Amino acid sequence: MLNIFKRFWQVNWAEQWQYRANLFMYLAYWLVSPIVYLSVWTTIANAQGGVNGMSASDFAAYYLVLLPVDIATAAITIHLFASKIQDGTLSNFLVQPVHPVLVNTLVTTISFKVLQLIIFVPIWIGLFLLFRPPLTITFESALLAIPALILGFMLNFLVDSTITLIAFWTTRVWSIHQLYWAIGAMLGGSFVPLSLLPGVIQSVARFSPMQLWLYFPIQLILNKQTPADMALNFGLQVFWLVIMFVIFRATWTAGLKKYSAVGA
Amino acid sequence: MTTHSPDADDPIVVEGLAKTYQVTDREGGFGAAVRSFVKRKYKDVKAVQNVSFRIGQGEIVGFLGPNGAGKTTTLKMLSGLLHPTGGKAIVLGHTPWNREAGFLSAMTLVMGQRNRLSWDIPAADSFLLNQAIYRISDADYKSVFGELNELLDLKDIMRKPVRQLSLGERMKCELAAALLHRPKVLFLDEPTIGLDVGAQVRIRAFLKEYNRRSGATILLTSHYMADVTALCERIIIIHHGQLKYDGGLGDLSRRIAPYKIIGVAVENCEACDLSAYGQAVPNPNEDGKQYIQVAASEVSAVTARLLAENEIQDLTITDPPIEDIIERAFHE
Repeated sequence: MLNIFKRFWQVNWAEQWQYRANLFMYLAYWLVSPIVYLSVWTTIANAQGGVNGMSASDFAAYYLVLLPVDIATAAITIHLFASKIQDGTLSNFLVQPVHPVLVNTLVTTISFKVLQLIIFVPIWIGLFLLFRPPLTITFESALLAIPALILGFMLNFLVDSTITLIAFWTTRVWSIHQLYWAIGAMLGGSFVPLSLLPGVIQSVARFSPMQLWLYFPIQLILNKQTPADMALNFGLQVFWLVIMFVIFRATWTAGLKKYSAVGA
Repeated sequence: MTTHSPDADDPIVVEGLAKTYQVTDREGGFGAAVRSFVKRKYKDVKAVQNVSFRIGQGEIVGFLGPNGAGKTTTLKMLSGLLHPTGGKAIVLGHTPWNREAGFLSAMTLVMGQRNRLSWDIPAADSFLLNQAIYRISDADYKSVFGELNELLDLKDIMRKPVRQLSLGERMKCELAAALLHRPKVLFLDEPTIGLDVGAQVRIRAFLKEYNRRSGATILLTSHYMADVTALCERIIIIHHGQLKYDGGLGDLSRRIAPYKIIGVAVENCEACDLSAYGQAVPNPNEDGKQYIQVAASEVSAVTARLLAENEIQDLTITDPPIEDIIERAFHE
């Protein structure tokens, strides 16, 4: 299995370097919104002397950590896989003895992510020098962030992939995904740090899977999670991962049945 | 009708296979669109109906039929892409649509109109990917690649990005990529479509030699009768989803078209009246001869009369063109 991952990685890496411009455009697309939120919130905090206890430099620290966390845990199955279902190229992958999503798409996503992170390093250094936020990262918090990021990515990958599979039933999967993306940005902590959300929405967000691949790792890296928070969030990550894996498998089986009923 | 005699080891066994698609049915226009939104009407399209056949180890069988006959649907069911709505199929001991790894690793599907190789990278990279996907050892890969390279002359073309290859070069790479894992069963859907005559000949020669060396079983569809006559001793004809013929190519022409075509060049006469000998048919070769169609049983008598009553410079007796025979078989 490792060998399959290695080869997929090599091929994807080669493919993605073919599309260097695409890589930069995607990265720019990925960075625009958080950098806008960062600018807006630091400006507001500067003008008001803080928002709900968060200073301008707290916002700067939050968003500077959010940027790499967002890239590390992002899922792009909708971009890689929805069109394959719609135009039938999925058939090419179905005749091969490896899972088109859990191997092919997963490795493509990871290799794309690694390339993006490499290109992102100098951009992040530039942003850091511009805002100079007080980063409260410790060795321990960075170490704990590794499993949190891996579990968060796997969870996001399964949720995004399951939504992508709706393409088996409708050609309008993109609009459904857009709605999911907007809700995810709010409940995940991308529009605004969760602690600033109104009470009810904050409670929903705390138990939603979305914060588990964004807000939780950010807070963990910034050393702002109590041991109890940490235990709860790691537990929630595992819980949602199991649930989503079951839902993904069921959707995949049903989707394939639908696909093979109408004429692959 | 001659069919393959059943054998317990037959790699492809199809019994009563059927596939009915449900498609939405509505007229054009706004009113119809609204009515369809409220109450959608469906129509059943019977793509494949009660099709049965067996194919033996190492056979190359031509699967023929006009567009929309159900050929591709059948190939897709046999390669596990479609669930049938009835009947059963066993390929290499597996039910194809269960898509077990053992089945997927032992068969291949090549669709001439679909690209499986990654467009932006050289075929060599895709070959290495397939080596990993099908878990081919380095030693096996080296040996099978050497063999495919010998037959298809791949060395120079596999380093270029696939999108820069000609259609013929691309098809060679597609076939090689599909055969690296030494599949025991090959489903080929129009493998020579769009290729020039030279490339068609090379692909045919390759398939024949590959079949001879590997003993693989091949089921192929093609609209080029030259593919069929060069490769297949046995053909299966399907029309409107139903099996029309399963047997030898020669038997079909004897059954469907029990006549021969006699071509004659008569001294000092380029357009003589030969209606007394047989029905005139168009000259397929523009060679100055005249052609008549004669019942197979009367060929020797008619030939003798032609020779006795005319000054014949040249005389040929041929079977009717295979395209005509197949066309008649479709509509019989």
